[in-house]
Amino acid sequence: MNGPTLYVSLVAFGVLVGVASGLLGVGGGTLAVPFLTLAVGLSQHAAEATSLLVILPTAIAGSLALRRRGVGDLGLALRFGVVGAVGSVLGALLALALPGSTLRIVFAVFIGLVGLRLARDGIRGEPDSLGS
Amino acid sequence: MCFAVRTFALDPKLIAIGVAGGLLSGLLGVGGGVVMVPALVLWAGYGQRNAHAISLGAIIPISIAGIATYGVAGEVRYWDALALAAGAIVGAQIGAGVLARIDERLLKVVFGTFLVGVAALLGAKA
Repeated sequence: MNGPTLYVSLVAFGVLVGVASGLLGVGGGTLAVPFLTLAVGLSQHAAEATSLLVILPTAIAGSLALRRRGVGDLGLALRFGVVGAVGSVLGALLALALPGSTLRIVFAVFIGLVGLRLARDGIRGEPDSLGS
Repeated sequence: MCFAVRTFALDPKLIAIGVAGGLLSGLLGVGGGVVMVPALVLWAGYGQRNAHAISLGAIIPISIAGIATYGVAGEVRYWDALALAAGAIVGAQIGAGVLARIDERLLKVVFGTFLVGVAALLGAKA
């Protein structure tokens, strides 16, 4: 893809990423990283870096939307995130030290395992610890 | 002062989950929700919907730190990110509206199936 086609595709795919973000409580990186590597052709490192910059405004917009609906505690979430920022610098430095192919396999294995567990829990209908 | 300290204080479990989520975020270029949401639900005892909301807010400072680190290394593609983000902001409003009234079990199945599909796709191309 190049020029206008690339940017139209990016905006369209962005809408899908945004829906996933608001819906699932994640920034959409699990969709954006594979899209940027497989469809746009970025390296694994550039895709991850760019994904984080997509995630930031998505997370802000999603958080504000939830806050208007009275879901969650944004103040607690931000304090929690400031602690997480320490980990994120360390994680990015580790990623930059790894080859792209290794990083991609780590990415695939991790989200595959998490996905299997969540899908299993949902299908079995295991109650959340707080119930609802 | 004591009150101010107490209001900023975090449960040690939240500190551990935040650091772990941040590590995954920086390492994998994701928000970190893939580890923070399950940990908040299964370990810290939050309901699925609250865990998603807290995770989404935490991703704001976490992603800023990751962007700065990758930015110094010259890996961030700003125009690609701008185009994706423009669409994503519109989509996020739609998704958040659904989250406020969705079935939590359905949310787990959708989220889980989605992640497995992405993993298979990446594994095939690695």
